[in-house]
Amino acid sequence: MDASQVTQVTDMLYALRNPAGVPTYPILFVGLGVLTFALHILFVQLMLGTSAITIFGAFKNDAKWRRLGAAMLEISKISVSVAIVIGVAPLLFVQVVYDPNWYASNVLSAVWVIAFIVILIFAYWAMYGYYFMNSKEKDKTKEPKGKAWMLISVALLLTVGFIMHSLSSQMLHPELWKDWYQQNGVLDYSGTKLHAYNLWRFAFFISMAIPVVGGMLVTYRRFKMVRADADMEYLDFAANVGKKWIAIGSVIAFVFYVAWMMTVPETAGNFATSLWGILGGVAVLLPAIWSAIRLNGSSYNMCSYMALPIALVAGLTIAIVREMLRYDILNGFFHYDFMDYKIVMDWYSTGMFFLTFAIVGGVVLSYFLTVAWKAGQTVGVYTPSAFVNRLGTLSIWIVALWVLQFFVVGFYVWAR
Amino acid sequence: MDLISLYPTWFEPTVGSGWVVALIATFHVLASHTSVGAALLFAYLSHKAYREDRDDLIDFIKKYGLFLMVFTYVAGSITGPGIWYSTTVASPNGIGALIHSFVWKWATEWVFFVIEVVGVYMIVYLVGKVDKKTHMKISVIFGISSFATMIIIVGILSFMMLPGKEQWFTEGGYLNGFYGTNTFIQMGMRVAFMFTMTAVVGGIVVAGIKDPAFKKEMARKLGWLGIVSTVTGALLFQWYLTAVPDQALLVMENRLPSYFVPSIMAVLAGTLTYFVITMLRPQVLIEGFAGAMTVIILVAGLWPEETARESMRKPWVAGQYVYSNQVIGRDVPGMNIKSQLPTIEKVGILKAHPFTPDALKTVTADNKIQAGQYIAMVYCSNCHSPSKTGIRPLHRYFQEGITQARMENYVKGVLTTGNIAYMPKMPMLDSEVEALSAYLVMNKNQGQGAVVAAIKQEVNDRNRALAEKMSMDKVASANISQEVK
Repeated sequence: MDASQVTQVTDMLYALRNPAGVPTYPILFVGLGVLTFALHILFVQLMLGTSAITIFGAFKNDAKWRRLGAAMLEISKISVSVAIVIGVAPLLFVQVVYDPNWYASNVLSAVWVIAFIVILIFAYWAMYGYYFMNSKEKDKTKEPKGKAWMLISVALLLTVGFIMHSLSSQMLHPELWKDWYQQNGVLDYSGTKLHAYNLWRFAFFISMAIPVVGGMLVTYRRFKMVRADADMEYLDFAANVGKKWIAIGSVIAFVFYVAWMMTVPETAGNFATSLWGILGGVAVLLPAIWSAIRLNGSSYNMCSYMALPIALVAGLTIAIVREMLRYDILNGFFHYDFMDYKIVMDWYSTGMFFLTFAIVGGVVLSYFLTVAWKAGQTVGVYTPSAFVNRLGTLSIWIVALWVLQFFVVGFYVWAR
Repeated sequence: MDLISLYPTWFEPTVGSGWVVALIATFHVLASHTSVGAALLFAYLSHKAYREDRDDLIDFIKKYGLFLMVFTYVAGSITGPGIWYSTTVASPNGIGALIHSFVWKWATEWVFFVIEVVGVYMIVYLVGKVDKKTHMKISVIFGISSFATMIIIVGILSFMMLPGKEQWFTEGGYLNGFYGTNTFIQMGMRVAFMFTMTAVVGGIVVAGIKDPAFKKEMARKLGWLGIVSTVTGALLFQWYLTAVPDQALLVMENRLPSYFVPSIMAVLAGTLTYFVITMLRPQVLIEGFAGAMTVIILVAGLWPEETARESMRKPWVAGQYVYSNQVIGRDVPGMNIKSQLPTIEKVGILKAHPFTPDALKTVTADNKIQAGQYIAMVYCSNCHSPSKTGIRPLHRYFQEGITQARMENYVKGVLTTGNIAYMPKMPMLDSEVEALSAYLVMNKNQGQGAVVAAIKQEVNDRNRALAEKMSMDKVASANISQEVK
């Protein structure tokens, strides 16, 4: 591309920005986007990894594998929900500062964007279908029914993953948008095509499900071993599988990562060999390195809750690298800098979000997760301690006061 | 630089992109309102179960919760962002306006959304695994958080009709945009509707209760909830009509389908009758009956209501400043937003649009139909489908055999001036008026097939002309190089 073509793209990107501006410093949106994307992709990988074990267990004629498959289905179901709910946040933040890119990419593949919604619903329902077919069976070592539903579910989940991957890839090619819109001289208003993808990049993010679920299995052992009815032989088996998957998975993911870096768009320049590109590669290997050091030797050494946080650290680093790649292309090559987005400062809504995030989210989720955690480790009925009970009461007060302030402020503004 | 913030157009020829958005939104409203209502009902029932030490109520919560989790939480949590997706492709500047004014409000809602999703799993899966007091606390937090998600979104939804306070236009500010008369009335309406849906969908679960006494108790509870909320909702709707702009009432009178009012009245009467019957004779409450009632409300009540709300905003799609065709049609000094109409008046829509192909930037004899179609797609297709079917098809608005001159008069006299109250002002250069008119005439008189053929011919002619020019250039450069030698 020559300089005048780049200038045309830059002008277009700036023209497409929303004239309403943004209510605070743009870097905050990017920061929150990266953080929430890391959490989102962790649960996506957890959902895929646990689904893979469910399928593997269902098809393997082995009692331990079948039991493990049934247990992982419970995590998979919840992971889909959590992945969706957490995924809302990066979806929100990306369209605040990268709206020209996100909206153009979406409109050009509109049918796939709509299909995403429908396919995801069916993927989820297929998983629930499989769950309900087998939920009444107490003996989890028996061959499960309706295995095809689980296969369909995973196939559909991968399809929506690919759609999202393609939309994200299209964002990075503003120089091609007009060519995609007009093909052979005729405008294409149909939105029926996905125009860009990088299979290595897609395979990399999917393959990270292997070390992530490996981490989950090690955590699963640690979590269940304190129960009075813990079956240590089965739990050791699960953790050993996990350990293996962390090591092998990290290597597989690393290979895909290298392939992705070797095929980044030309507009990214030397990103692959930059500090960020190398840092990403190290991060991919981090779970395997940690596992080799920490999970080495006897089963006692496998007693660790750190496997998933390590996967999260690796994921967060990759999320940062992914963001830097985007910045490198859009700012470095096309001179579109999100940092200079027009700011129409609104302190009230900015402050209210961070207070809600920290206080409401912090306290209530601490209470919820404590109860869920303890109940999961208790045989029979769990009765919380006085402290946890007080945390529950505090949570009720906090959410109630939030609603109260909503109306007090609202009526004041209304009456003003 | 005379470019404005317009994106490519997505055109869905069968039903139209507007209907795709409406379908997803209607389904989401059904799922989300039912979920929020049920969350508040769970809080009440769980509290009662704790106070009176009743296992049957906890069992009911588990059954209803599992049912909702599969059918409304799954679908609701996907169709929620699904509305973003669908509006992104159908109306990128409409959703962009909302996102850029209310990003933090949506982010705040997201915090409650996370609590809600974790909460629903806990309510269902921790039955029998935690004591009743803890279950009650989780249910109360879950109920209030669900309610919070709804009241937050209502402020954003009402901004779509009009900003909370008139001062927003001059002073800006989230609070002025969010809170207003319209916001609170709509909130009341939605709360009422939410409980109606809870009572109706709850009937599907009550139908499965085996113990006649308990079934009667729950049918009565849900029946009263449904009757009170339906009547309240109907009254609030009348109040709501006093809080919308005059233009919205004008649209309602003129543009809404004739079946709208009878349909709403029939659903209202049918819903009340349904609740009375299920209260008096709970034994008639079977899954099929309750399920059918849900579908009836969805199709005959919710669909026209959501369609009406969508239509009443016209010509605007968000905040009374973004037109339904994505152009910003008025200044908003409080947000330092400038109307894009002067730019279009100056350079024309083709040059102002960043995605216009180079070959169409200036109207010529070689691109007239294609340029006309492009303008129709940009300016018209969001509300009027250029195809035979879909949303308010364009061809229905013109008489058979209409001439080019007459069409130009209409386009220039009515559309470019914004003389129709519920349609945007659509500035065009004279050459663009000519192109749009030529396309509309051909689309009306000769049909879509002729348009496709004409565009193909124009493209071929341009390609041929380009090829000839290139070969001429080649010959010229060859001659020059020979002369140099």
